[in-house]
Amino acid sequence: MTSAETPAGRGPRFWGALYVGSIAIIAVLRITDAIPTPVGLILFVGAMGLLIPFVRSSERRSAANGCMNPVIVRYNRRILAASMGYVFGLGIALALWNTYELSGALAFAIALLPTLPTFAMIWAMGRYLVEETDEYLRYRMVRAALMSLGMVLAIGIFWGFLETFELVPHIWAWWVLPVWAIGLGLAQLWMKVRGE
Amino acid sequence: MNNRLKVLRAERNWSQQDLAERLGVSRQSVNAIETGRYDPSLPLAFTIADLFGLPIEAIFSRDQTES
Repeated sequence: MTSAETPAGRGPRFWGALYVGSIAIIAVLRITDAIPTPVGLILFVGAMGLLIPFVRSSERRSAANGCMNPVIVRYNRRILAASMGYVFGLGIALALWNTYELSGALAFAIALLPTLPTFAMIWAMGRYLVEETDEYLRYRMVRAALMSLGMVLAIGIFWGFLETFELVPHIWAWWVLPVWAIGLGLAQLWMKVRGE
Repeated sequence: MNNRLKVLRAERNWSQQDLAERLGVSRQSVNAIETGRYDPSLPLAFTIADLFGLPIEAIFSRDQTES
């Protein structure tokens, strides 16, 4: 019996929805101070584990539909590993920052803990574009990336001027990557809805 | 740009997946080209033409609305 005949477990939509729902609940609990920061981080790391069945179920479905793309598989696994590294790096960095009075080179070093995995994510995206031999899929990814970049620039400039005129609070510059990633997802959804 | 990919594929009784495998691209690519949502690059257009044993202009034609 093959996995295509009997898809083992639940589909990517289930795992994706479970992950998003978990993150939303943890975020609400943290924002309302119902849980302290360390508990929030531990729960967040646990929720990240849901991405593993999400990626695996996506791969199973692609294999069952006969459209398994090894480049996408590599990309997903690299992004997953980098995401795990990011969460662990951020957790360790925050724990060290809150426990010790770090400054100078040590503060620089802990800043690198969550930063380096995000560089790995950017590298994975770049590698995908280099390794993807299907020009249509590459075109779609480049298009989504540019749409997302446009969104980041627009939000960044608008927020920056709102901040200049003291209408909104200051935010840290690392927001660009998560917002870009969200934009990438929204752009892909937009293209799917439009049948592109 | 218009193309006769769907007709040529149907004449050979190939599915989109069959054609995609012969061209070495994804099924999504074949679907996007057939439905006119994506115009292939010149190298891919030549590969398609070679596969069907036809000149490019026998498969792809300029849209009437294009100048």
